[in-house]
Amino acid sequence: MGIALAVMSVLSLSLGAFHIPLYSVFGILIDTVGLELIDFSQQQSNVLLHIRLPRILMAILVGGGLGVTGAALQGLFRNPLVEPGLIGVSSGGALFAVIFIVFGSTLPFLSYFGGIGLPLFAFLGGLINTLLVYKMGSSVGKTDISLLILAGVALNALSGALIGLVIFYADDAALRNFTFWSLGDVGGANWSKVGISFLLISGPVMLVLSQFKNLNALSIGENEAFHMGVDVQKVKYILLFASALIVGTAVSFTGTIGFVGLIVPHLIRMTFGADHRLVLPGSFLLGALLLTFADLLARTIVMPSEMPIGIITAIIGAPFFIWLIINVKKIRS
Amino acid sequence: MLQAQDIHFCIRNMPIVDKASVSLAPGELTVILGPNGAGKSTLFKVLAGEIPCKYGKVDYNGSPVNGFSAKNLALVRAVMPQHSSLSFPFKALEVVELGLLSGGGSYRQDLLEEVMNETQTWHLKDQLYGNLSGGEKQRVQLARVLTQIWDKKPFPRYLLLDEPTSSMDIALQHHVLRIIHKIKKRNIGVLAILHDLNLAANYADKVILLKKGRILHQGPVKEVMCASNLEEVFEHPIQVFSGLEDSPMIIQSIPFVQNHLEIKLA
Repeated sequence: MGIALAVMSVLSLSLGAFHIPLYSVFGILIDTVGLELIDFSQQQSNVLLHIRLPRILMAILVGGGLGVTGAALQGLFRNPLVEPGLIGVSSGGALFAVIFIVFGSTLPFLSYFGGIGLPLFAFLGGLINTLLVYKMGSSVGKTDISLLILAGVALNALSGALIGLVIFYADDAALRNFTFWSLGDVGGANWSKVGISFLLISGPVMLVLSQFKNLNALSIGENEAFHMGVDVQKVKYILLFASALIVGTAVSFTGTIGFVGLIVPHLIRMTFGADHRLVLPGSFLLGALLLTFADLLARTIVMPSEMPIGIITAIIGAPFFIWLIINVKKIRS
Repeated sequence: MLQAQDIHFCIRNMPIVDKASVSLAPGELTVILGPNGAGKSTLFKVLAGEIPCKYGKVDYNGSPVNGFSAKNLALVRAVMPQHSSLSFPFKALEVVELGLLSGGGSYRQDLLEEVMNETQTWHLKDQLYGNLSGGEKQRVQLARVLTQIWDKKPFPRYLLLDEPTSSMDIALQHHVLRIIHKIKKRNIGVLAILHDLNLAANYADKVILLKKGRILHQGPVKEVMCASNLEEVFEHPIQVFSGLEDSPMIIQSIPFVQNHLEIKLA
């Protein structure tokens, strides 16, 4: 799958509104380490290094992050229907991102954070929503999935309403910023954003990957995991915290991209089994692959303009979700 | 020694377990018997350290249970709950493998194979847990729990089983109790909730009779499991045939059939 991701990345580098032949792609990449073997134009190089490459790296980081988060949350809540968007992580992140964008210029203390402020703020929102949903959805240590989803729906609605309220108070400049952000897809990526995302996403992803044994134990049940020596409460907080950080960062840079966190872990489980040793890294790779592919489609379908990437993931994701709901009994048994 | 003193557990001021004191010695099988709703599972969960109890205390080898980290507790006791459902399609072998988690987590093919052969589950290893029958699932769970305490250790350990044989056929029930008989010799104290009085009578070293949250009788099988004690606990006519020295004890509950009642009345 790693190879597939590499191939997809190179293909994505080549294809697009401004076509760069494959051999030139290699030429430019080799040139960056100092070897001039294959000819290319300066324009090709600029497009590739400053527009396309950061954008693809962003797609890999965000897609992989969403995939891992989906797998981790499904494992944590012991339910295959959980998804960062469904339980309110994304909407909480979005709300706080919007607050930051709209009030960022009027509240001077917010500007101290610089470029890292937006993702950190979105992380905070995601974390608050996740904890609220989790508290509402569980009683006496057991997670009631219908309560959990209801709590998610309620918080999603509330966050949506509050986003509307914030926009209502936004001035023209803030509104324009918001519009750009909400259309936001991986297209807005530049090297500084990629750097910040890498900092904020790679750490929590590693943290989640290290929890594979505990997630396996949790699949039998929280009490059983405790009997086997897992500090369940600690694992929960690690996973919720890491998920909020990953999704918050992703949302703050690329807007809410749905369904990646839902579909990807399922596809991995169907092909490689349920062992989180494989499910977690597999979900990262497939999530990255899927989002890179979706981004490629978004850039090429309606060339030379672009389609928002969220539309593409939803078009693939929503029917899959419906199929999943119909077949959930079979998958569980 | 696993010792519990004056365990008291209430839900909305209703005592579920009322001033229960239990001690579980390594090398012995202690069986908890009692009617439905007697508080067996609650007592079991308190002993396992799963539910913290406000009143009374539980000590493992002399140290209070709430002072143990989950990890250290997993080294001295293993627990098999009544039901475990899996949220994802794991294979039977992967479920058993989870028992290795507390021992540092290195993969031990030989240990897994030995335990799964012992529990007659090795042939199921590549099947999905969700597709197994009830009895097979129980055996796989038992294998997982045994894996956790299979290696010999220099300190006494405990195995807690909540109705481990409830979905098994007769031969398998006896098979499981023979495994328990074997494992307790590794300096392991076993506590099991059972419903089958005959299994309890013929395999247990000690018996605890629980009713409405209170321990009515506890002690060695021969002393505790007499007809009058059992009738008191289960509120049903019961006959006990002790037999001779080596022959098995047979416990019979009397059916509510007209002519039996007449015989008793006469």
